[in-house]
Amino acid sequence: MLTREQKDRFSRQLLIPEFGETGQKALLEASVLIAGLGGLGSVSAYYLAAAGIGHLKIIDRDYVAIENLNRQILHNTNDLGRPKIESARDKLKSLNPDCIIEPIHTDIRDKGLLDFVEGCRLIIDATDNLDARLALNRASVEKRIPFIYGGIDGLSGMTTTFIPGKTACLACIFPSQGRNRKDVIIGALGPVAGTIASIQCTEAVMILSGKSPKLAGRMLRFNGMEIDFKETKITRNQRCPVCGSKD
Amino acid sequence: MSCLRVERLTQSMGTKIQVIINGLPEAVPEDSNLESVMKLFNELDPDLIVEHNGKYIYSHQYKTTRLSENDRIEFINPNLGG
Repeated sequence: MLTREQKDRFSRQLLIPEFGETGQKALLEASVLIAGLGGLGSVSAYYLAAAGIGHLKIIDRDYVAIENLNRQILHNTNDLGRPKIESARDKLKSLNPDCIIEPIHTDIRDKGLLDFVEGCRLIIDATDNLDARLALNRASVEKRIPFIYGGIDGLSGMTTTFIPGKTACLACIFPSQGRNRKDVIIGALGPVAGTIASIQCTEAVMILSGKSPKLAGRMLRFNGMEIDFKETKITRNQRCPVCGSKD
Repeated sequence: MSCLRVERLTQSMGTKIQVIINGLPEAVPEDSNLESVMKLFNELDPDLIVEHNGKYIYSHQYKTTRLSENDRIEFINPNLGG
């Protein structure tokens, strides 16, 4: 049963017939891991806290820097030098005090990740490198938690949902496992990150409220130069070293 | 150019088919597969996303994916920023 305050706070989304009170209760009971609090993670964390996710685990090792502020809308000029998890926690608690925020100030790597994802119904990818994504992917496959990938580069972005045992996993489609990939600083525009993160959040809300994942087996690609979407169908790779033998 | 010369040139090039690569029409040998076209266009990044007629193609399938007239191929750089 929703409280009076919850009915008021979420009244506009309760009006959506496909969502309703059942969907809202599912969000309130859900725990979600958001990995990264940059351009993608700022938008995802804000929208998911606003939508009423009960428990958000937020991971990031970085501190707010001035070059983040063109797109990382959880942070502002007064936050410069602060850990992103602290800046994010303050904004998210201010937005929705009932949302439990669990900040984790660490690198995203295998160590500890299985503990961090424990109890989560979804993993939202908002990282900025392949190594972190592959670590999240391994945790997703191991714990059988759906993983919503998102990435941006300049005016482009892409997103898909990996469902362990049913779809390809991230390691299926990035076979180099990060070898030979150099860290380079890329261009990034706020609205492009916002577009991809908003799609990730829509998918997250739909999955959490009991709908089937719409981006499973489909990689949606956004081209901001043309304001154009395309999609690529992805089947499982039976030879994948991470998920190939797991059903 | 004499007819004989054109004929010899065409024979040396082999018959070509037209495919669409990243939205642009390209002529490639008719016996092409994805692997040969990737070499031709110097697309060698192991994390490149290769799409053939809307479907993701795994690297072990490049050689066996034969191309036909008007096939659509996309070579897509992964977006890894956040």
